[in-house]
Amino acid sequence: MTESLLEVRDLEKHFYERDTLVDRALGGEPVSIQAVDGVSFDVREGETLGLVGESGCGKSTCGETLLRLQDPTGGTVRFDGEDVLDLSGDDLRSFRRNAQVVFQDPFSSLDPRMTVGATVRQPLDVHSVGTKAERTERVCELLERVGLSSDQYDRYPHEFSGGQRQRIGIARALALEPDFIVLDEPTSALDVSVQAQILNLLSDLQDEFDLTYLLISHDLSVIRHISDRVAVMYLGELVEVGPVADIFESPKHPYTQALLESVPRASTDERDREIETLSGDVPSPRNPPSGCRFRTRCPSVIPPEDVTIDQREYRQIMDVRERIESREVDLDSAWEYVADEQPSSGGSSLRSLLGDDVREDPFRERHAEAFVDRLEERMLDVELSGSHAQTVRSALHELCYEDWEGAASILAEEYESVCEVVSPALQDDRTHPVACHLYDQPDSVTANVADADVSAPVGDTVRTDGAESD
Amino acid sequence: MPRDLLSVRDLTTRFFTQEGQVNAVEKVSFDVEEGEVLGIVGESGSGKSVTALSLVDLVEDPGRIVTGEINYRNSELAESASENAPDAVDGDFVDVRKLPERHRRALRGPDFATIFQDPASSLNPSLPVGEQIAEAVEVQRRASANPRSTRSRTQSYGLGKFLLGTALPGQGYLTEESKARAIELLELVGIPDPAERAEALPHEYSGGMLQRAMIAQALAGEPELLIADEPTTALDVTIQAQILDILGDIQEETGMTILLITHNLGVIARMCDRVGVMYAGEIVERGSLEDVFDNPVHPYTQGLLGSIPDLESAGGRLQPIEGNVPSLLDQEMEDRCYFADRCPNAMEECLEKPPEFPGPGSPDHAAKCYLADHPYEPEQALPEDYFDDESSDTTVGRDDGKDDASGEGVSADD
Ligand code: SF4
Ligand code: SF4
Repeated sequence: MTESLLEVRDLEKHFYERDTLVDRALGGEPVSIQAVDGVSFDVREGETLGLVGESGCGKSTCGETLLRLQDPTGGTVRFDGEDVLDLSGDDLRSFRRNAQVVFQDPFSSLDPRMTVGATVRQPLDVHSVGTKAERTERVCELLERVGLSSDQYDRYPHEFSGGQRQRIGIARALALEPDFIVLDEPTSALDVSVQAQILNLLSDLQDEFDLTYLLISHDLSVIRHISDRVAVMYLGELVEVGPVADIFESPKHPYTQALLESVPRASTDERDREIETLSGDVPSPRNPPSGCRFRTRCPSVIPPEDVTIDQREYRQIMDVRERIESREVDLDSAWEYVADEQPSSGGSSLRSLLGDDVREDPFRERHAEAFVDRLEERMLDVELSGSHAQTVRSALHELCYEDWEGAASILAEEYESVCEVVSPALQDDRTHPVACHLYDQPDSVTANVADADVSAPVGDTVRTDGAESD
Repeated sequence: MPRDLLSVRDLTTRFFTQEGQVNAVEKVSFDVEEGEVLGIVGESGSGKSVTALSLVDLVEDPGRIVTGEINYRNSELAESASENAPDAVDGDFVDVRKLPERHRRALRGPDFATIFQDPASSLNPSLPVGEQIAEAVEVQRRASANPRSTRSRTQSYGLGKFLLGTALPGQGYLTEESKARAIELLELVGIPDPAERAEALPHEYSGGMLQRAMIAQALAGEPELLIADEPTTALDVTIQAQILDILGDIQEETGMTILLITHNLGVIARMCDRVGVMYAGEIVERGSLEDVFDNPVHPYTQGLLGSIPDLESAGGRLQPIEGNVPSLLDQEMEDRCYFADRCPNAMEECLEKPPEFPGPGSPDHAAKCYLADHPYEPEQALPEDYFDDESSDTTVGRDDGKDDASGEGVSADD
């Protein structure tokens, strides 16, 4: 097997936010944003590892941190055997020569007052490579190599198109003959016809100069096109890593599956392709979900073993729980609705109907059923069967008296999932590891599951992947 | 037999910049059928967004619609306009460009609604989202409550705006019904707990939620035509899938007509019945989705489809379109096929502007390319370096990148 050029272990980058005046006045704890939270992967010599994820998942922070453009808050990064985070002086300089970056935005990453020649030459100047004449010659070579012309040496960035500017960025990254380049959304600002030119150029350069790439992108087609292996990131964590064909043809993690399904294909069959869209938004990295971070949207979230339930119903109940736990249910409007429905009372006198001591309130008492009906109607898209409908109604009933905790605990007791209690992890002995409780998990995770006394899938329900361990 | 709701003829929009005249949209003609989703696809600088803005009269200085007709089928409007703008009327169609400006603007909302890539352009940051949607509901209510005469419609619309904008600042919803309708609309577009979210300000919404709110606002007017310009471009793919789903469902339920403008061929394939492909300000190929995707004749369409990396199969070399988007500066544009300098099949005759020829597919299929008329003639091929002198100069100041916000209208699109 090819050697790893880059080894990233438990890389962590937390930002601390305590910006607003109110925060400071209250002297509250700074909020930490877990942009990258314990990410481990290798990039092998000569390969392209694609790092894919949606905005805010931490993929760009990950790239910047491992290049030491930002300081990590934890973890290690080894490049060619050396600990990058420990480097200083000459060693750091030589790392910086060897590991380059190409950014998304060829407009803001180029200094508008510097000619193209000076831009590409700058790294050579900084590292005092050769004589001035040699540097100039090298720049001309580089410009030609990336498909520009050496006549354009004295032109300024604004005179170039987006694709040409990206070529300038690439020439600059190549100037010091690096082994490794982080490509951070290199074609996201470009039109598709120009993107194709740049992707072809990048793969030619890789062959010619034996480059190793870490390609960071949100665009799955681009990732598929030039990666050898792919790592999928969600909310600061890796959820699945594997060879490109495996990831795209037999994705394992429910998030990867949903991501792939979501991409609209440019083909005439597309209209008839059924897709199950994910519900909800990506949660905030300020307050990521416990356990598996994908569990708030996961269509396969795992019900407790002793509960027999249709998967869609379970997903629905988990959404209801989420809303109750975050108190995102508008109770007033439900009461207003109920009051409006009453022939005698009329909506305007609702306030007088609802006394201060809600438990004693005869109106609430009398109309509890109607209120629960209304909440059900508003909150449930999927009809629940038998006992599940009963349990959910009894929880919603607690909301008549604004007992949020009571409602939450009724549901938590019945429906607590292993996915919310124990974080899944990537198995480190696999070519295609996946962090999900649907698959057999590393011993450390299994031990946590046992400690937490939640039921995890066992026996037949576990999807093992014996064939591929290596 | 579907009827045309909108029939655009020779629409030409130019920008008069310091560098010169930019021909952003050049004699564009197309029809939008009632109840269909028509897609317009193109890269930056193709003129697709300027086309959208032209339809709703939102082209900003130094841009101007120079010529063209925007014929809108609406018999009531035609009837009332025959009094005060008889020139504009042709049967059931009204050329909205010939209506007095105030009347034309009154069509925005109840007749033509827009959603854009950036919700900030449609939502006021300092008003609760629900209130803004309720406003749109009110405008629609007034429009449909009044007899459909241009005069009274415009007056009521103007009055409504006046009341909402000045007389009742911060008074919240005008009526309980419009508030209730706003909440219904928020629910329809998939916003959880809409009653509560209606009270929130736009910045309290996530990107995907804001996009939904903008759709709700557009739907509030119960528009005849929804113009969606890159409605999902700023969104992550899982959210994009949700939004396309919602748009598709609403379209199916209400039979609303949609003009969808995007650079994303996948989005076009998912949503559209018919497609027009724009390049350098012109529609260069049009037809059914099948015509354009499975049987394209214009080398630009072919190139565009060939440049997308395939999600379903592994690498291999992409077939990019060489070169860059041409200048749209009038003084640099020659009277030839605008794609000739990048076209692998450019021939002598292409130095003369090709007319639109019928294509080999459905009756709707057509392309502005000689290859739609007769096969490629190798002996006619232009020498490979034919455009070289020109391009070494003209690539300068050109743009093929998307974020040329600073392009000062040189690439007037996006
Ligand atoms: S661990 Fe549970 S919630 Fe997370 S992806 Fe797997 S099944 Fe879904
Ligand atoms: S008209 Fe000629 S140059 Fe233009 S696209 Fe067709 S073949 Fe190419």
